[in-house]
Amino acid sequence: MNESVWVLTIFAAIGLGTPLVYAIVGEILAERAGILNLGVQGMMLVGAVGGFWAVYQTDNLVLGVLMAMVAGALISVIHAFASITLRVSQIVSGLALTIFGTGLSSFIGKAGTPALVGTPARNQFGPILDGGIADWPIVGPLLFGHDILVYLSWVLVAGASYYLFRTRMGLTVRAVGEDPASADAAGIEVSRVRYVHVMLGGALAGIGGAYYSLVIVPSWQDELIGQAGWIAIALVILASWRPWRALFAAYLFGAAGRVNFTLQTLGFSVPSNLLAMIPFVLAIIAMIVLTSGKRARLLGAPAALGVPYSREQR
Amino acid sequence: MSARRYTIEPRGLASARVRLMVPLLSVLAALIVGAGFLTLTGNSPWTVYSRMVDAAFGSGRGFAETLVSATPLILTGVAAAIAFKMLVWNIGGEGQLLMGAISAAGIGILMGDGVPAVIALPVVVLAGAVGGAFWASLSAVPRVYLGTNEIITTLMLNFIALNLMNYLVLGSYSPWRDPASTQFPQGRPIPDAARIPEFFHRLDYGLFVAIGVAVLAWALIGRTRWGFELRIVGDSSDTARYAGIGVPRKILGVFLLSGAAAGLAGSLLVAGILGKMDPRSLDLGLGFTGIIVAALARLNPLAVVPVGVLMGALNNAGPALQSIQVPSATVTMLQGAILIFAVSGEFLIANRIRNVRKEEVPGLPPGEAAAT
Repeated sequence: MNESVWVLTIFAAIGLGTPLVYAIVGEILAERAGILNLGVQGMMLVGAVGGFWAVYQTDNLVLGVLMAMVAGALISVIHAFASITLRVSQIVSGLALTIFGTGLSSFIGKAGTPALVGTPARNQFGPILDGGIADWPIVGPLLFGHDILVYLSWVLVAGASYYLFRTRMGLTVRAVGEDPASADAAGIEVSRVRYVHVMLGGALAGIGGAYYSLVIVPSWQDELIGQAGWIAIALVILASWRPWRALFAAYLFGAAGRVNFTLQTLGFSVPSNLLAMIPFVLAIIAMIVLTSGKRARLLGAPAALGVPYSREQR
Repeated sequence: MSARRYTIEPRGLASARVRLMVPLLSVLAALIVGAGFLTLTGNSPWTVYSRMVDAAFGSGRGFAETLVSATPLILTGVAAAIAFKMLVWNIGGEGQLLMGAISAAGIGILMGDGVPAVIALPVVVLAGAVGGAFWASLSAVPRVYLGTNEIITTLMLNFIALNLMNYLVLGSYSPWRDPASTQFPQGRPIPDAARIPEFFHRLDYGLFVAIGVAVLAWALIGRTRWGFELRIVGDSSDTARYAGIGVPRKILGVFLLSGAAAGLAGSLLVAGILGKMDPRSLDLGLGFTGIIVAALARLNPLAVVPVGVLMGALNNAGPALQSIQVPSATVTMLQGAILIFAVSGEFLIANRIRNVRKEEVPGLPPGEAAAT
């Protein structure tokens, strides 16, 4: 039963969706604080190569994930500084981060001797349980058959959801993203809140990237993550800035390639290139249908998203 | 008592010197950052940079290749510059370029052989502009009539176009795919009559089309009533409304022109060096690099031309680095850094940083100022 096409597909969807979960939740945190960060792709790539490098050097997976987080958070400071302190265009600054991060990750991958490119991972995450309840029909693999990062992503989603909607700090974050002037008047340090959440987003995107280089692939090559960073940005909208929805959106679209395989097993043939368009098409439709004009409020888009905040100019 | 503090104050129009120095310093700062990474990895920045200059400008052939690389970048740069100037955040130049390429190749293949060049060439080239404008309209129309944020829609359409291009040649037996290529799918060549002639190594007359578009864009924005009204919209849409300017139509117009310029970049590639729409030979990232060009040119369509040549030189220098065992990604990294510094430099253009002695802080007597 555990070899059935459905169980295998859902299992694969969870695995392939997990890096997206980290990246989407990270981007939700930044956007909830009012900062649109189009640098997700760059931060994920830097995290992927950083985590891979740390494991290559130390054989320690925990250090690998920590390195990925540090790398993602550090590079996100570029965007934070430009968009929060200098108040320049968040769009251009985020794209700059992606271009720089893409170049930097590729550079790091090739610059060392021996180069990281083409080297298999020295260590990788595997399922935490082997046999036992992980072999139970259906629920075994789907609930108990994953690696530790999958379970941590579930904790992250629950934690981020609780944080944003049930804590005072979360209220602060949302206030900063909705109406920074009022938040400022209420004594909230708008810039600090934004810095912290952009960097949290960077750290989480870093883990997402490392999930490719330490679990899915596991090795390093240029643009290892495909279009994952961009898909994550699309899915933030489909998840309407809510962590729980992000989990399901990620699983739904994480496995586009796998879905193709499943469909073929079931006797359908859909070209993979067309399937790969789906998250982008749906994000556009969601934007048009739901975020136009006043309806944006219903969807939950932060009102001050992408707008620089300057105390003098309010 | 010589403690200093810095104040940041907005300034009106920055002097021409500041406006010129900031982009130049952006490039310099990026080169310094790049030198840091190169040194850390045991490379000599001097060797690497001189190799790049040599590859891009050192020979007639190298300079021709630089201009070949610059041609699409000038157009995607113009596309981003005119849109951003009006606060239309068209970051879909990439997708519009690809749709331009798809349209141009499609028309070329449809016409087939036997159509004279005087008809085939302009039709193929213009088809790219139409294709790009159409792709932009998918974001422009919702933006203008529904208020849908164009940042996300233009961004997403890039990846739809990319996957569409891959589908047409790699994933299906569409007319865009060369039927002779069975094992390794390739794009189907367009008729020779629709190809732009070369005049210097691989450089073709498309370069002059790109420069012409840049000059036209500059003249349209700087020298016509339409452009004057457009600039008012860019400065303040409220003012424009009070002045009786039709803001939605202006935004729609500039959005479509922006898409057309990016689409033209695609058709010039297809009718120029490529001769077909082929995912493996069409460089990706030209639309995004156009945004770097526009930012460094400070959204001035005329300045886009030299900046486009500079970025073309960087793109062209990448492969040359591999021959001295330096990753070609150095170039991408430098371009990203240039964009970071260029966009950050806008802060210096919009604001003045003055350092004042504490004693000069107004409202505080010198003694108190020193005590605080």
